[in-house]
Amino acid sequence: MINFDNSATTFPKPQSVKNAVALAVERFGGNPGRSGHEISRAAAEQVYAVREKAAKLFHAEVENVAFTSNCTYALNMAIKGLLQYGGHTVISSLEHNSASRPVYNLYQNRGITYSIARVESDDEKTVNNFKQLINSDTKCMICTAASNVTGQITPYKELARLAHERGIAFVCDCAQASGVLGITLDDGMDFICTSGHKGLYGPTGTGLLITNGKFPLSTIIEGGTGTTSALLTQPDITPERFESGTVNTVGIMGLGKGIDFVNSKGQHRIRTHEQALCEQLLGALERHKGITVYRSEGASYAPIVAFNIGEYSSEQVTGYLNSRGFALRGGLQCSALAHHSLGTLLTGVVRFSPSAFNDSRQVSMLIREIDKVAAGRAI
Amino acid sequence: MPKSLIAMTSITYAMKAKRLLNEKGIYCEVVRTPKNLATGCGYSLSVTKDPREIILVLEDNGIPHRSFMKG
Repeated sequence: MINFDNSATTFPKPQSVKNAVALAVERFGGNPGRSGHEISRAAAEQVYAVREKAAKLFHAEVENVAFTSNCTYALNMAIKGLLQYGGHTVISSLEHNSASRPVYNLYQNRGITYSIARVESDDEKTVNNFKQLINSDTKCMICTAASNVTGQITPYKELARLAHERGIAFVCDCAQASGVLGITLDDGMDFICTSGHKGLYGPTGTGLLITNGKFPLSTIIEGGTGTTSALLTQPDITPERFESGTVNTVGIMGLGKGIDFVNSKGQHRIRTHEQALCEQLLGALERHKGITVYRSEGASYAPIVAFNIGEYSSEQVTGYLNSRGFALRGGLQCSALAHHSLGTLLTGVVRFSPSAFNDSRQVSMLIREIDKVAAGRAI
Repeated sequence: MPKSLIAMTSITYAMKAKRLLNEKGIYCEVVRTPKNLATGCGYSLSVTKDPREIILVLEDNGIPHRSFMKG
Protein backbone atom coordinates (compact mmCIF):
# COMPACT_ATOMS: atom_id res chain seq x y z
CA MET A 1 0.00 0.00 0.00
CA ILE A 2 1.33 3.43 -0.95
CA ASN A 3 0.28 6.25 1.35
CA PHE A 4 -0.68 9.52 -0.29
CA ASP A 5 -2.76 10.56 2.73
CA ASN A 6 0.05 12.16 4.68
CA SER A 7 -2.02 15.24 5.50
CA ALA A 8 -4.00 12.99 7.83
CA THR A 9 -0.84 11.52 9.32
CA THR A 10 2.54 10.79 7.81
CA PHE A 11 3.24 7.12 7.26
CA PRO A 12 5.71 5.51 7.19
CA LYS A 13 7.66 7.15 10.00
CA PRO A 14 11.46 7.46 10.04
CA GLN A 15 13.27 4.48 11.57
CA SER A 16 14.68 6.79 14.25
CA VAL A 17 11.13 7.58 15.40
CA LYS A 18 10.32 3.88 15.72
CA ASN A 19 13.53 3.32 17.68
CA ALA A 20 12.78 6.21 20.03
CA VAL A 21 9.30 4.89 20.74
CA ALA A 22 10.71 1.46 21.58
CA LEU A 23 13.40 3.03 23.74
CA ALA A 24 10.82 5.09 25.63
CA VAL A 25 8.77 2.01 26.47
CA GLU A 26 11.83 0.02 27.41
CA ARG A 27 13.89 2.54 29.38
CA PHE A 28 11.94 5.68 30.20
CA GLY A 29 8.81 4.39 31.87
CA GLY A 30 8.76 6.71 34.88
CA ASN A 31 6.17 9.44 35.25
CA PRO A 32 8.05 12.54 34.11
CA GLY A 33 8.16 15.41 36.56
CA ARG A 34 6.13 13.71 39.25
CA SER A 35 7.83 11.44 41.71
CA GLY A 36 11.31 12.87 42.03
CA HIS A 37 13.07 9.51 41.94
CA GLU A 38 15.64 8.54 39.33
CA ILE A 39 13.20 6.78 36.97
CA SER A 40 10.89 9.81 37.00
CA ARG A 41 13.74 12.27 36.53
CA ALA A 42 15.22 10.31 33.63
CA ALA A 43 11.87 10.44 31.81
CA ALA A 44 11.52 14.16 32.61
CA GLU A 45 14.96 14.81 31.08
CA GLN A 46 13.84 13.11 27.86
CA VAL A 47 10.62 15.13 27.71
CA TYR A 48 12.52 18.34 28.39
CA ALA A 49 15.02 17.60 25.62
CA VAL A 50 12.18 17.30 23.09
CA ARG A 51 10.60 20.48 24.44
CA GLU A 52 13.88 22.24 23.74
CA LYS A 53 13.94 20.89 20.18
CA ALA A 54 10.38 22.06 19.53
CA ALA A 55 11.18 25.47 21.05
CA LYS A 56 14.19 25.82 18.74
CA LEU A 57 12.20 24.74 15.69
CA PHE A 58 9.46 27.33 16.28
CA HIS A 59 11.71 30.03 17.84
CA ALA A 60 9.85 29.87 21.16
CA GLU A 61 10.90 29.93 24.79
CA VAL A 62 10.99 26.40 26.15
CA GLU A 63 8.35 27.18 28.81
CA ASN A 64 5.95 28.30 26.07
CA VAL A 65 5.89 24.89 24.40
CA ALA A 66 3.08 22.65 25.68
CA PHE A 67 2.63 19.07 24.55
CA THR A 68 -0.91 18.15 23.53
CA SER A 69 -2.54 15.05 22.09
CA ASN A 70 -2.89 16.57 18.62
CA CYS A 71 -3.58 19.84 16.84
CA THR A 72 -7.28 19.71 17.71
CA TYR A 73 -6.47 19.81 21.43
CA ALA A 74 -4.05 22.68 20.90
CA LEU A 75 -6.67 24.67 18.96
CA ASN A 76 -9.35 23.98 21.57
CA MET A 77 -7.00 25.11 24.33
CA ALA A 78 -6.14 28.35 22.53
CA ILE A 79 -9.64 29.19 21.29
CA LYS A 80 -11.53 28.31 24.48
CA GLY A 81 -8.77 29.75 26.61
CA LEU A 82 -9.18 33.11 24.88
CA LEU A 83 -12.95 33.16 24.43
CA GLN A 84 -14.55 31.23 27.26
CA TYR A 85 -15.71 34.44 28.95
CA GLY A 86 -17.19 35.90 25.78
CA GLY A 87 -16.13 38.17 22.94
CA HIS A 88 -16.03 38.05 19.17
CA THR A 89 -13.69 36.24 16.81
CA VAL A 90 -12.99 36.30 13.09
CA ILE A 91 -12.19 32.94 11.53
CA SER A 92 -11.26 32.10 7.95
CA SER A 93 -13.48 30.35 5.44
CA LEU A 94 -10.94 27.52 5.20
CA GLU A 95 -10.93 26.40 8.83
CA HIS A 96 -10.84 22.75 9.77
CA ASN A 97 -13.59 21.61 12.15
CA SER A 98 -10.98 21.57 14.92
CA ALA A 99 -11.16 25.38 14.85
CA SER A 100 -14.70 26.01 13.60
CA ARG A 101 -16.43 23.57 15.97
CA PRO A 102 -14.98 24.99 19.19
CA VAL A 103 -15.94 28.46 17.95
CA TYR A 104 -19.45 27.31 17.11
CA ASN A 105 -19.74 25.56 20.47
CA LEU A 106 -18.76 28.78 22.26
CA TYR A 107 -21.31 30.64 20.14
CA GLN A 108 -24.05 28.19 21.13
CA ASN A 109 -23.17 27.80 24.81
CA ARG A 110 -21.15 30.83 25.93
CA GLY A 111 -22.70 33.60 23.89
CA ILE A 112 -19.66 34.56 21.86
CA THR A 113 -20.11 35.92 18.35
CA TYR A 114 -18.07 35.10 15.28
CA SER A 115 -17.61 36.18 11.68
CA ILE A 116 -16.19 34.24 8.76
CA ALA A 117 -13.66 36.00 6.55
CA ARG A 118 -13.47 34.65 3.02
CA VAL A 119 -10.02 33.53 1.89
CA GLU A 120 -9.44 34.70 -1.69
CA SER A 121 -6.69 33.88 -4.15
CA ASP A 122 -5.55 37.50 -3.71
CA ASP A 123 -3.86 37.85 -0.30
CA GLU A 124 -4.62 41.54 -0.04
CA LYS A 125 -8.33 40.88 -0.44
CA THR A 126 -8.16 38.17 2.22
CA VAL A 127 -6.51 40.50 4.72
CA ASN A 128 -9.08 43.15 3.88
CA ASN A 129 -11.91 40.68 4.47
CA PHE A 130 -10.56 40.03 7.97
CA LYS A 131 -10.01 43.73 8.61
CA GLN A 132 -13.61 44.61 7.79
CA LEU A 133 -14.97 42.06 10.25
CA ILE A 134 -12.98 43.13 13.31
CA ASN A 135 -15.07 45.04 15.84
CA SER A 136 -14.54 46.53 19.30
CA ASP A 137 -15.42 43.20 20.93
CA THR A 138 -13.03 41.08 18.82
CA LYS A 139 -10.62 39.10 21.00
CA CYS A 140 -8.83 37.03 18.38
CA MET A 141 -8.46 36.02 14.76
CA ILE A 142 -8.19 32.36 13.84
CA CYS A 143 -6.72 31.24 10.54
CA THR A 144 -5.11 28.13 9.17
CA ALA A 145 -1.68 28.62 7.60
CA ALA A 146 -2.57 26.18 4.83
CA SER A 147 -5.92 24.58 4.04
CA ASN A 148 -6.05 20.89 4.79
CA VAL A 149 -8.36 20.42 1.78
CA THR A 150 -6.65 22.28 -1.07
CA GLY A 151 -3.34 23.23 0.52
CA GLN A 152 -3.98 26.93 -0.18
CA ILE A 153 -1.57 29.03 1.87
CA THR A 154 -3.17 31.96 3.63
CA PRO A 155 -1.43 35.33 4.20
CA TYR A 156 -0.71 34.38 7.81
CA LYS A 157 2.13 36.87 8.28
CA GLU A 158 -0.01 39.78 7.12
CA LEU A 159 -2.92 38.57 9.25
CA ALA A 160 -0.63 38.41 12.28
CA ARG A 161 0.42 41.99 11.60
CA LEU A 162 -3.21 43.07 11.35
CA ALA A 163 -4.06 41.33 14.65
CA HIS A 164 -1.17 43.09 16.39
CA GLU A 165 -2.18 46.47 15.00
CA ARG A 166 -5.62 45.91 16.54
CA GLY A 167 -4.25 44.50 19.81
CA ILE A 168 -5.94 41.12 19.39
CA ALA A 169 -4.54 37.62 19.45
CA PHE A 170 -3.78 35.59 16.35
CA VAL A 171 -4.28 31.82 16.54
CA CYS A 172 -2.81 29.87 13.66
CA ASP A 173 -3.58 26.25 12.75
CA CYS A 174 -0.25 24.99 11.44
CA ALA A 175 -1.18 21.31 11.08
CA GLN A 176 -0.45 21.30 7.34
CA ALA A 177 2.35 23.85 7.47
CA SER A 178 4.69 22.55 10.17
CA GLY A 179 7.69 20.77 8.78
CA VAL A 180 7.08 22.18 5.31
CA LEU A 181 6.66 25.97 5.34
CA GLY A 182 9.27 26.80 7.99
CA ILE A 183 6.76 28.57 10.22
CA THR A 184 8.04 30.12 13.47
CA LEU A 185 6.76 32.60 16.05
CA ASP A 186 8.83 35.21 14.18
CA ASP A 187 6.03 35.14 11.58
CA GLY A 188 3.92 36.94 14.16
CA MET A 189 1.51 34.32 15.45
CA ASP A 190 0.60 34.46 19.12
CA PHE A 191 -0.44 30.81 19.10
CA ILE A 192 0.94 28.12 16.84
CA CYS A 193 -1.22 25.01 17.08
CA THR A 194 0.11 21.96 15.35
CA SER A 195 0.07 18.22 15.25
CA GLY A 196 3.26 16.31 15.89
CA HIS A 197 2.31 13.35 13.72
CA LYS A 198 2.04 15.00 10.31
CA GLY A 199 4.86 17.11 8.89
CA LEU A 200 6.92 16.64 12.03
CA TYR A 201 6.87 12.83 11.56
CA GLY A 202 6.14 11.99 15.20
CA PRO A 203 3.76 9.25 16.34
CA THR A 204 0.00 9.77 16.45
CA GLY A 205 -1.19 11.22 19.75
CA THR A 206 1.27 14.10 19.65
CA GLY A 207 0.64 17.80 19.16
CA LEU A 208 1.97 21.18 20.27
CA LEU A 209 0.58 24.44 21.58
CA ILE A 210 3.26 27.09 21.17
CA THR A 211 2.81 30.64 22.36
CA ASN A 212 4.76 33.86 22.61
CA GLY A 213 3.38 34.34 26.13
CA LYS A 214 1.65 37.64 25.34
CA PHE A 215 -1.94 36.48 25.81
CA PRO A 216 -2.76 34.53 28.99
CA LEU A 217 -5.10 31.60 28.46
CA SER A 218 -7.78 30.21 30.74
CA THR A 219 -7.47 26.46 31.04
CA ILE A 220 -9.99 23.95 29.73
CA ILE A 221 -8.46 21.00 31.59
CA GLU A 222 -7.16 21.13 35.15
CA GLY A 223 -5.46 18.55 37.29
CA GLY A 224 -2.14 17.26 38.52
CA THR A 225 0.88 19.12 37.20
CA GLY A 226 3.59 17.98 39.61
CA THR A 227 3.80 21.51 41.06
CA THR A 228 2.16 23.40 43.97
CA SER A 229 0.13 20.30 44.70
CA ALA A 230 -1.18 21.59 48.05
CA LEU A 231 -3.22 24.26 46.26
CA LEU A 232 -6.59 23.74 44.62
CA THR A 233 -5.91 26.37 41.98
CA GLN A 234 -4.33 25.47 38.65
CA PRO A 235 -0.77 26.87 38.56
CA ASP A 236 -0.04 29.87 36.31
CA ILE A 237 3.40 28.59 35.42
CA THR A 238 3.63 27.25 31.87
CA PRO A 239 3.88 24.76 30.27
CA GLU A 240 2.68 22.75 33.29
CA ARG A 241 -0.49 24.88 33.43
CA PHE A 242 -1.49 23.30 30.11
CA GLU A 243 -0.24 19.78 30.75
CA SER A 244 -2.44 18.36 33.49
CA GLY A 245 -2.08 14.63 33.83
CA THR A 246 0.74 12.40 32.71
CA VAL A 247 2.22 13.43 29.39
CA ASN A 248 2.77 11.04 26.50
CA THR A 249 6.49 10.32 27.03
CA VAL A 250 6.49 7.59 24.38
CA GLY A 251 4.96 9.84 21.73
CA ILE A 252 7.03 12.84 22.77
CA MET A 253 10.30 10.94 22.45
CA GLY A 254 9.19 9.77 19.01
CA LEU A 255 8.31 13.35 18.12
CA GLY A 256 11.79 14.47 19.12
CA LYS A 257 13.29 12.15 16.53
CA GLY A 258 10.68 13.30 14.01
CA ILE A 259 11.86 16.88 14.52
CA ASP A 260 15.46 15.70 14.08
CA PHE A 261 14.41 14.04 10.81
CA VAL A 262 12.82 17.27 9.53
CA ASN A 263 15.88 19.28 10.57
CA SER A 264 18.26 16.85 8.90
CA LYS A 265 16.35 16.99 5.60
CA GLY A 266 15.51 20.69 5.83
CA GLN A 267 11.96 22.01 5.49
CA HIS A 268 12.72 23.71 2.20
CA ARG A 269 14.03 20.49 0.70
CA ILE A 270 11.04 18.49 1.94
CA ARG A 271 8.65 21.05 0.48
CA THR A 272 10.48 21.13 -2.86
CA HIS A 273 10.39 17.33 -3.08
CA GLU A 274 6.69 17.14 -2.23
CA GLN A 275 5.82 20.05 -4.55
CA ALA A 276 7.55 18.23 -7.41
CA LEU A 277 5.35 15.19 -6.78
CA CYS A 278 2.28 17.45 -6.75
CA GLU A 279 3.37 19.04 -10.04
CA GLN A 280 3.80 15.59 -11.57
CA LEU A 281 0.25 14.68 -10.60
CA LEU A 282 -1.16 18.06 -11.66
CA GLY A 283 0.43 17.64 -15.10
CA ALA A 284 -1.37 14.32 -15.51
CA LEU A 285 -4.71 15.59 -14.19
CA GLU A 286 -4.67 18.51 -16.63
CA ARG A 287 -4.69 16.09 -19.57
CA HIS A 288 -8.25 15.02 -18.74
CA LYS A 289 -11.12 17.35 -19.52
CA GLY A 290 -13.39 15.68 -16.99
CA ILE A 291 -11.12 16.24 -14.01
CA THR A 292 -11.62 19.26 -11.75
CA VAL A 293 -8.59 20.48 -9.81
CA TYR A 294 -9.32 22.81 -6.89
CA ARG A 295 -6.64 25.43 -7.35
CA SER A 296 -6.93 29.12 -8.19
CA GLU A 297 -4.56 31.24 -10.18
CA GLY A 298 -2.60 33.65 -8.01
CA ALA A 299 -2.80 31.53 -4.86
CA SER A 300 0.11 29.52 -3.45
CA TYR A 301 -0.19 26.01 -2.13
CA ALA A 302 1.33 23.65 0.38
CA PRO A 303 2.02 20.21 -1.15
CA ILE A 304 -1.59 19.01 -1.41
CA VAL A 305 -3.72 18.47 -4.52
CA ALA A 306 -7.52 18.30 -4.34
CA PHE A 307 -9.47 17.03 -7.33
CA ASN A 308 -12.55 15.20 -8.56
CA ILE A 309 -13.01 12.94 -11.56
CA GLY A 310 -16.09 13.52 -13.71
CA GLU A 311 -19.35 12.63 -12.02
CA TYR A 312 -17.80 10.12 -9.64
CA SER A 313 -18.03 10.92 -5.95
CA SER A 314 -14.69 11.44 -4.25
CA GLU A 315 -15.27 8.34 -2.16
CA GLN A 316 -15.96 6.18 -5.20
CA VAL A 317 -12.59 7.24 -6.56
CA THR A 318 -10.67 6.76 -3.30
CA GLY A 319 -12.43 3.41 -2.80
CA TYR A 320 -11.19 2.23 -6.19
CA LEU A 321 -7.68 3.58 -5.58
CA ASN A 322 -7.62 1.83 -2.22
CA SER A 323 -8.43 -1.47 -3.97
CA ARG A 324 -5.43 -0.81 -6.24
CA GLY A 325 -3.06 -0.15 -3.34
CA PHE A 326 -3.17 3.65 -2.98
CA ALA A 327 -4.32 5.50 0.14
CA LEU A 328 -5.89 8.89 -0.65
CA ARG A 329 -8.60 10.63 1.32
CA GLY A 330 -12.02 11.38 -0.12
CA GLY A 331 -15.02 13.06 1.49
CA LEU A 332 -14.92 16.30 3.44
CA GLN A 333 -11.59 16.00 5.30
CA CYS A 334 -13.37 17.31 8.45
CA SER A 335 -13.59 20.79 6.92
CA ALA A 336 -17.18 21.87 6.43
CA LEU A 337 -16.30 25.54 5.91
CA ALA A 338 -13.65 24.86 3.28
CA HIS A 339 -15.99 22.60 1.32
CA HIS A 340 -18.77 25.14 1.61
CA SER A 341 -16.39 27.69 0.06
CA LEU A 342 -15.38 25.29 -2.70
CA GLY A 343 -18.96 24.19 -3.41
CA THR A 344 -18.04 20.57 -2.73
CA LEU A 345 -20.12 19.82 0.37
CA LEU A 346 -22.07 17.14 -1.51
CA THR A 347 -19.26 15.49 -3.45
CA GLY A 348 -16.21 16.01 -1.26
CA VAL A 349 -12.83 15.95 -2.98
CA VAL A 350 -10.06 13.43 -3.55
CA ARG A 351 -7.00 14.65 -1.64
CA PHE A 352 -3.44 13.73 -2.61
CA SER A 353 -0.83 14.59 0.02
CA PRO A 354 2.69 13.18 -0.36
CA SER A 355 5.45 12.96 2.25
CA ALA A 356 9.23 12.88 2.21
CA PHE A 357 8.98 9.11 1.73
CA ASN A 358 7.02 9.15 -1.55
CA ASP A 359 8.72 9.21 -4.93
CA SER A 360 8.02 9.93 -8.57
CA ARG A 361 7.67 6.25 -9.50
CA GLN A 362 4.84 5.87 -6.99
CA VAL A 363 3.09 8.93 -8.43
CA SER A 364 3.42 7.47 -11.95
CA MET A 365 1.74 4.28 -10.74
CA LEU A 366 -1.08 6.33 -9.21
CA ILE A 367 -1.50 8.31 -12.43
CA ARG A 368 -2.02 5.08 -14.40
CA GLU A 369 -4.95 4.22 -12.13
CA ILE A 370 -6.39 7.75 -12.30
CA ASP A 371 -6.17 7.58 -16.12
CA LYS A 372 -8.26 4.39 -16.04
CA VAL A 373 -10.91 6.03 -13.84
CA ALA A 374 -11.02 9.16 -16.03
CA ALA A 375 -11.39 6.99 -19.14
CA GLY A 376 -14.34 5.16 -17.58
CA ARG A 377 -12.47 1.84 -17.51
CA ALA A 378 -12.24 1.35 -13.75
CA ILE A 379 -15.39 2.11 -11.76
CA MET B 1 30.91 21.33 50.43
CA PRO B 2 27.49 22.32 51.85
CA LYS B 3 24.76 22.45 49.25
CA SER B 4 22.10 25.12 49.02
CA LEU B 5 18.65 24.64 47.55
CA ILE B 6 16.77 26.98 45.24
CA ALA B 7 13.12 25.99 44.96
CA MET B 8 11.91 26.34 41.38
CA THR B 9 8.38 26.99 40.12
CA SER B 10 8.32 23.94 37.82
CA ILE B 11 10.42 21.08 36.57
CA THR B 12 10.63 22.80 33.18
CA TYR B 13 12.18 25.91 34.74
CA ALA B 14 14.40 23.72 36.91
CA MET B 15 15.77 22.03 33.81
CA LYS B 16 16.04 25.29 31.89
CA ALA B 17 18.01 26.70 34.81
CA LYS B 18 20.24 23.62 34.94
CA ARG B 19 21.04 23.93 31.21
CA LEU B 20 21.81 27.63 31.61
CA LEU B 21 24.02 27.19 34.68
CA ASN B 22 25.88 24.24 33.16
CA GLU B 23 26.60 26.34 30.06
CA LYS B 24 28.12 28.93 32.39
CA GLY B 25 30.22 26.27 34.06
CA ILE B 26 28.17 26.31 37.28
CA TYR B 27 27.48 22.83 38.63
CA CYS B 28 23.96 22.08 39.86
CA GLU B 29 21.51 19.24 40.16
CA VAL B 30 17.73 19.04 39.92
CA VAL B 31 16.33 17.48 43.11
CA ARG B 32 12.96 17.05 44.75
CA THR B 33 12.04 20.08 46.89
CA PRO B 34 11.84 19.30 50.61
CA LYS B 35 8.47 19.89 52.26
CA ASN B 36 9.58 22.99 54.19
CA LEU B 37 10.34 24.82 50.92
CA ALA B 38 7.38 23.79 48.78
CA THR B 39 3.62 24.13 48.50
CA GLY B 40 3.32 20.45 47.75
CA CYS B 41 5.35 18.77 45.01
CA GLY B 42 8.15 20.67 43.34
CA TYR B 43 11.73 20.67 42.15
CA SER B 44 14.78 22.57 43.31
CA LEU B 45 18.28 23.28 42.16
CA SER B 46 20.94 21.92 44.44
CA VAL B 47 23.99 24.21 44.15
CA THR B 48 27.36 24.55 45.84
CA LYS B 49 27.82 28.26 45.03
CA ASP B 50 26.12 31.03 46.99
CA PRO B 51 22.44 30.72 46.02
CA ARG B 52 22.02 34.52 45.96
CA GLU B 53 24.57 34.73 43.13
CA ILE B 54 22.80 31.96 41.25
CA ILE B 55 19.44 33.68 41.70
CA LEU B 56 20.85 36.82 40.09
CA VAL B 57 21.84 34.74 37.04
CA LEU B 58 18.37 33.20 36.92
CA GLU B 59 16.66 36.56 37.20
CA ASP B 60 18.84 38.01 34.44
CA ASN B 61 17.58 35.22 32.21
CA GLY B 62 13.91 35.49 33.13
CA ILE B 63 13.80 32.21 35.04
CA PRO B 64 11.54 32.45 38.10
CA HIS B 65 12.19 30.72 41.43
CA ARG B 66 10.22 30.43 44.66
CA SER B 67 12.63 30.59 47.59
CA PHE B 68 16.04 29.35 48.67
CA MET B 69 17.68 27.63 51.60
CA LYS B 70 21.37 28.24 52.24
CA GLY B 71 23.41 25.11 52.96
